[in-house]
Amino acid sequence: MNAAAGWRIGAGDAGYPSCLRELGEAVTPGLHGVGRRSVISGFDNATAVTIVGARRASGYGLRAAEAIARELATAGVTIVSGMALGIDAAAHRGALAGAGTTVAVLAGGPDLVYPAMHRDLYREIVASGAVISEYPPGTAARKQNFPARNRIMAALGGVVLIVEAAQPSGSLITAEVAARIGRTVGAVPGQVGVGVAAGTNQLIKDGAHLVRDARDVLDLLFGVGSGGPRRHGPELEAPLRAVLDLVEAGAVSVDRISVGAEIAPREAAVALARLELLGYVCAGAAGDFRRSGLAPP
Amino acid sequence: MQPNGAVFSALIPFSRLECAGRAYGRRVLAIVSTYALVGVEAREVRVEADVRNGLPAFALVGLPDAAVREARERVRAAIVNSGFEFPQKRITVNLAPADLRKAGPGFDLALAAAVLAATGQLPEARLDGVAFAGELALDGSIRAVPGVMAMARGAQGSKARALVVASASGPEAALVAGGAVIPLERLEQLRSLGGVGEPPAPEPLRPTLNGDVPLPDLADLRGQPGLCRALEVAAAGAHSLLVSGPPGAGKSMAARRLPSILPPLGPEESIEAASVASACGHPVEAAIARRRPFRAPHHTISTAGLIGGGNPPRPGEVTLAHRGVLFLDELPEFGRGALEALRQPLEDGSIRISRARYAVELPCRFQLVAAANPCPCGRGLESGACRCDAGAVRAYESKLTGALSDRIDISLTVEQPDLIAFAEAAESSAAVRGRVLAARERQRARGQAAGTGDRANAELGAGEVAIAPGVERMLAESGTATRLSGRGRERVVRVARTIADLDDRAEVTVEHVAEAMAMRRRERR
Repeated sequence: MNAAAGWRIGAGDAGYPSCLRELGEAVTPGLHGVGRRSVISGFDNATAVTIVGARRASGYGLRAAEAIARELATAGVTIVSGMALGIDAAAHRGALAGAGTTVAVLAGGPDLVYPAMHRDLYREIVASGAVISEYPPGTAARKQNFPARNRIMAALGGVVLIVEAAQPSGSLITAEVAARIGRTVGAVPGQVGVGVAAGTNQLIKDGAHLVRDARDVLDLLFGVGSGGPRRHGPELEAPLRAVLDLVEAGAVSVDRISVGAEIAPREAAVALARLELLGYVCAGAAGDFRRSGLAPP
Repeated sequence: MQPNGAVFSALIPFSRLECAGRAYGRRVLAIVSTYALVGVEAREVRVEADVRNGLPAFALVGLPDAAVREARERVRAAIVNSGFEFPQKRITVNLAPADLRKAGPGFDLALAAAVLAATGQLPEARLDGVAFAGELALDGSIRAVPGVMAMARGAQGSKARALVVASASGPEAALVAGGAVIPLERLEQLRSLGGVGEPPAPEPLRPTLNGDVPLPDLADLRGQPGLCRALEVAAAGAHSLLVSGPPGAGKSMAARRLPSILPPLGPEESIEAASVASACGHPVEAAIARRRPFRAPHHTISTAGLIGGGNPPRPGEVTLAHRGVLFLDELPEFGRGALEALRQPLEDGSIRISRARYAVELPCRFQLVAAANPCPCGRGLESGACRCDAGAVRAYESKLTGALSDRIDISLTVEQPDLIAFAEAAESSAAVRGRVLAARERQRARGQAAGTGDRANAELGAGEVAIAPGVERMLAESGTATRLSGRGRERVVRVARTIADLDDRAEVTVEHVAEAMAMRRRERR
């Protein structure tokens, strides 16, 4: 871990995130971190959203988490999550795809990748954001530490968003802590009868905010219609704008763009490559194009 | 080739002098040549028959497999049913070299000829310098065996006067230029060898109308212009292609239309492809009609079935797809081992299969086309109907990101075409093929001018594509913005070169690079 030397911020230090003090008696004595220290020392939970959810998530949940995180990150919001399998990892990936800042809170030492299969993800988070923990480097992640870790995630987010959670589950603990210390809790609705949707649907019934997309989260964070620190891209010529509108409307393939915009497939491909470069669309591994959170001027 | 060379030199003069049908004491020896198929090549095998007095027996040694061992029964019946006499003596037949495993029924004819020569029923002078390849039926008729093209080439190499084959495989064997072939219907015709009744050499196989059945046409891909364009670029530069999309979006339909826009096999390629088909016992007509092979193995295929294997090694699907297209439908469903094993063939254009005593090199210069669903259930994460759990999706995607992703030049997503778009017919294969041929011609001419040989753009190495500085700068900038790796950059450049060739432009422009960027395979986070 020489590439990213660890650091520590004590509770009394200047860079200690003030939002963590709202945990009251459960406040952490300090944070150990790896990655960019400035992400934590300059942390403001007014522009941070915590996204957590089930490890055994459905495809729907993963997509929702990734898309919401990506658009929030593009809008300049910091994404906090726990780097667990499933929803957590999707949230981090979305944030990275949106070229945003993301913070992972671990239940072991910040130098130990947990779960180990996320070492690539860990490396990327460390490169552009931070991995933190209240435990010193070298501490193994232990089962009983997870609820404690969840309280830190709850405190760090201005809004805490749950995407899929079984009943009972760690995600619901995070939501509970968040509600107790006055954080806004949002949940993505799921299908009735699906196990991982039971927790989130219950949260909505109990009064959590129903979240459909990043827009809803931005409304919760900055007030309805304020738009928040939404980022704007450069000016677009009319043909590019037409292609962008088609992607916005759900066309993911060159075929659809070409037929919809009535342009040759090569022109459609060139337009998509330009839009990707400008940051207006992002492409999946399979060459499927999707809208990013970047707004036209 | 002949590890027991010392033994041969001792035996051959002996046989020449003593065995021409005459007994030497109580024992007679005859030696004839045949070929064992190893991969797609033929290795010479000497059949030595020793007939001596003793209890009647027919022993076969020299690592024969079950089919070769059973040849004894076929040979015995065929000899008797052809009006010859099967000796009531102790017969030992050795297949040399003794350490090469012999498989298949192709040794029957040589075994019969050796036994007949050793018992003086055929004058050995007649068999001198003649090699044999054929299976025997019990009634004495001769059946075709796989690999006669390789064997004819082997016969040419070992300076045999002619290769005797079944008349059914005569035209196929005659495809090998310069090799003499004698086609026989029945075992008793061996009497005519070297005499007046010897059948004339067969005419080489000609492309028939049968090999000219029209291929499915690109015009069927209605409402999918992007897919048609990707196929065109893939065909023009021999680029590997991955198509992702839900079931019913026309992925395999598109792949099966690729051969219709590919350039025909060149004369040498045609013979190469025919040799491979011949060695595998497949019809060679399509290759002779200069059709590119199209192989679409099922995803349950074993690693050995895909890349070749067994002992003696047999060619796999990659070799059958040599100079053609290998289509892997449902790519992530293939075994991880099979996909990993594809790396070397894709890189080198050949596969080396090593056995304890020897190694075989099989040709496999093919164009890879693959199709994949968006997730294991196929409905896609977007659809809302997908019920795949995260672990299954991850395992599925890791197949795509693993072994082969850095070998894919072009990757695109397809959707169900719009019903409205169905009305418009796509361009016909003939029109697209015209552009593809012109683009390939440009590549050939460029290779010739540079003295680097006739290679498609997909086969060019790093730095072999010239790019103007302005385009280079744009590529570098966009590469940083979109996290393009070094390898990824090379692939984009090669595809851009192909797009420029389709445009009939000498220079790669920013537009060409932009289109290639949109077609590239992205790395997943």
